[in-house]
Amino acid sequence: MTGPDVLPGSHVPAPQAGDGPLVVACLRIGDLRPAVDPLDGSVTRDRWGVGLPPADAAALEHALRVSAAWGGRVVGVCVGPRSVEPVLREVAALGVAVVRVPAADEADAHRYVTELADDERALARTLLAAVRPFGPPDLVLCGDRSVDRGTGALPAYLAHELGAAQALGLVALQPNGPGALLVERRLDAGWREQLRVPLPAVCSVEGAGVRLRRASLAGALAVDGVPTPVDRSLEVEAAGSPTGDPGSVHLGPTRPYSPRTRVLPPPEGDDPRLRLLALTGALVAHDPPTVVQPESAAEAADVLLDFLVRHGYLDAVPGGGVAPSTGDPTA
Amino acid sequence: MPEVLTFDAVVVGAGPAGAAAALALARAGRSVVLVERGPFPGAKNVYGGVVYGRVLDDIVPNWWEEVPVERWVVRRSTMMMTGTQSLSVDFRTDAWGSAPYNGMTTLRSHFDAWLAGKATGAGARLVASTVATGLVRDGAGRVVGVRTDRDGAELHAPVVIACDGVNSFLAKEAGLLPRAEASHHTLGVKEVLDLPHGAINERFGVQDHEGVDMEILGCTREIPGGGFLYTNADTVSIGVVVSLPQLAASGVRPEELVADLKAHPTIAPLLRGSSLREYAAHLIPEGGYDTMPALASDGMLVAGDAGAMTLAAGLWLEGVNFAIGSGYAAGRAADRALAAGDCSARGLASYRTDLESQFVLADHKRLRKAPSLVLSDRVQQRYPGLLCDLAEGMFTVTNPTPKAGGLKLTRAAAARYGVSLRQLATDTVRGLRIFG
Repeated sequence: MTGPDVLPGSHVPAPQAGDGPLVVACLRIGDLRPAVDPLDGSVTRDRWGVGLPPADAAALEHALRVSAAWGGRVVGVCVGPRSVEPVLREVAALGVAVVRVPAADEADAHRYVTELADDERALARTLLAAVRPFGPPDLVLCGDRSVDRGTGALPAYLAHELGAAQALGLVALQPNGPGALLVERRLDAGWREQLRVPLPAVCSVEGAGVRLRRASLAGALAVDGVPTPVDRSLEVEAAGSPTGDPGSVHLGPTRPYSPRTRVLPPPEGDDPRLRLLALTGALVAHDPPTVVQPESAAEAADVLLDFLVRHGYLDAVPGGGVAPSTGDPTA
Repeated sequence: MPEVLTFDAVVVGAGPAGAAAALALARAGRSVVLVERGPFPGAKNVYGGVVYGRVLDDIVPNWWEEVPVERWVVRRSTMMMTGTQSLSVDFRTDAWGSAPYNGMTTLRSHFDAWLAGKATGAGARLVASTVATGLVRDGAGRVVGVRTDRDGAELHAPVVIACDGVNSFLAKEAGLLPRAEASHHTLGVKEVLDLPHGAINERFGVQDHEGVDMEILGCTREIPGGGFLYTNADTVSIGVVVSLPQLAASGVRPEELVADLKAHPTIAPLLRGSSLREYAAHLIPEGGYDTMPALASDGMLVAGDAGAMTLAAGLWLEGVNFAIGSGYAAGRAADRALAAGDCSARGLASYRTDLESQFVLADHKRLRKAPSLVLSDRVQQRYPGLLCDLAEGMFTVTNPTPKAGGLKLTRAAAARYGVSLRQLATDTVRGLRIFG
C-alpha cells in the first residue's frame, strides 16, 4: 500500500476570474482570547490561541450559502502572519479559495498592516487588492466585530472603496432574486428590520444565527500541509475616488423579535438568596435608563457628550469643548 | 455509503504517543494519518510539568536544540509537609542544566505541536478537529479502521494505533480495556500562575533557563495523593494528584486542596503576587503494570495513557516519556507487521516484546508494587508528620535540657502518629525491595 486512494487533487480552487458571482469573505483570524492590559489597552496575542472568531465564521457560512444559491465562487482573504495558515487551511477545506496577505512580522514591506486595527482604510484597500485577480466582488462579507480591539470600521471602508451598498450588523442574509439580498438587522426592544440590499454590497454579520459547516474528511486531508497562497505583490493605490456609485438600501417591514434562550454561568456561593440576587442583579445600585429625544443630530451629540462629561469620561474645557478625561471615571 | 480513505496505518490522538507512532511509521515510508480531536496537537492536553527527554535521543537527534522548552530542571525537591511544617530533600546539579539535559518543563500545546510537526514533516498526514467515533471491523471481526465525526467518513488501514488517552474509548470498544475502575485512576488538578521570570529565579534559586521540580507529600488532607510545583519560563504550575474514589468519598473539592497548598507557609511566599492564568484537571491512569490492558488485538495497538503507561511510583512520576517510548515502539511494530503482511494480534506481538526490552514495561514491572506502598495510609497520613516532628525535635535546641537521642525522638514521633517501630521497619524493607 502506498497512500490514500481517495484524495481530491484540486480541492482548493485556483484564483481565476469569470466563474459566476464572486463572494468574498474578509476574515480576521487572530487570537480568540487576547489579553488586554486594563491600564494602557495594549493587546497581547498568543499564536496558539489563533482561530476564526464567531462573527467571521458566520460571515464565511453566509458566503458559502449565498454562493451556492447563486452558483458563484467564494474567496476567503485575510491579513496575518504565517501562524494563521492552519485556520486558513480549514477554510480552504470547505472549497473556498484562500489568499493570505503576510503581516509585518514576516519582515516584508507591508508596513500598513503591522497592526490590523491601526489603519482600517489601508487594510480595506489591501484586502480588495488581494482579491482583484479573482474579479470584481459581487458581495463582500465580514464579521461585525473582532475580538481583539477592532473598531468595526472595516466594512464601511470596504464599501467606500468598492462603491458598494453596505448593510452592517446583520443577523440573517439570503438572496432576493438576481442582484439583490434580503437581510435582517436587530433593532431595539427586540424588533428586527428587513433590508433589501442591491449588489455589489458589503455586509457585516453578527456571530449568531448560523454555524459554520465542517469540511469533509477528504477536504480536510486535501489541504493538510498545503501552503496557502500568499499575495506578496500588493501595492496600495493612491487615494482616489470610489469605483462606483453605491445602490440604495431599502427598508422593509419590521417584526417582533423572539430572543433565543441564553445560558448564564451559575452564580457563586451556596446561599440561595445571594445566588438569586447575583442572578437577577437586584439590589445592585445602578443608574436607571434615560430616554432622550433630541430633535437634531447636533443636539444628540451634545446629550451624549454631556453624559460622558457627567460620568467622568471626558473633561469639560473652557469654551464649551470637551477633552478626554485624565482621571479615573470609576474612582 | 460513507466516504472511505485508505492508509497503511491510522493513529488516533496526536499527543506524544500518537505523534511518536506516526513519526515511526512515516519514517518507515508508510502512509499514516494522525487523527486529532483538538484544533491542533496539544490544544487540550493537560499534565503536571516535567518531560524527561532521554527517550528522544534516538528519535530526534540533538532534540534539545529545537524543543520548545520552558526551563531545564536542575533542582529536584522532595518535600513532606504538615499544616505548619515542611521537610525537604533538595538536590541540585549543573549536569542537568546543559546538554544532553535530564528533564524540562514545557507547555503541552507547544511540545505536542512540535513533536507532531516532526511526524508531518516525515510525511504523516494530520487531520485535526476530528473525533474517531468508533472502530470499523471486517467480517472476521478484525479492526480495519475508524469512523470519524466528519459526516461518518471512515479511515481504513490494516493497523489502528489507539493513542486516545486515559479512558480510551477505542481500546474499550476493541475489548482491550475493561470498564474504567476508579481505584486505578487519580485526578490531577493544577493551576498555572503568572509570575515574572526574575521573581521565579530569585525565589527558587535558579537563573536563566534553569527550573525546579518540587514533589510534595502530605498536602492532600486525608485523601491519598501528593502535590507538585514546577517552574515554567514566566509561570508556575502548582497542583495536586489525588485518589479518585477517596476524593469522591471525602466530599472535598479538588480546588480546595490546591488552595490549601498555595496557602501553606512554605509555599505561599514563593507565589506571592502571582495571578491565575489557567486551571485544568485530568484523569491519570496510575494503576501501574498490573492494571495495564492487553496491548494488541487483531489490527490494533494501544499506546500511551490509553495503555495505562503513566509511571506513578513515588520517587518517579513520569508519563510523557513513557508515552513517546510506547508510541514509537507501536509505530515500529506496526511497520514490521505491515512488512510481514500479518497485522493480526500475533503479527503485532513484537510490540509488547519491544516494550519489555526497554524502560517502558521494564520500569513498570519492577515498580509494580510501588503504587500500593506510596498510596498506603501510613505513607500518606502518618510519615510526613512523623518525619517533620522528628526533624523539629532534632533541630530544636532545648537548653538547659540535654539533647534527646535520635531513637528517643523517633519513638516519640512514631507514637504520636500511631506508628509502631515494627511497622516502620516493615515499610522500610518494603520500600527497599521496591525501589532498591
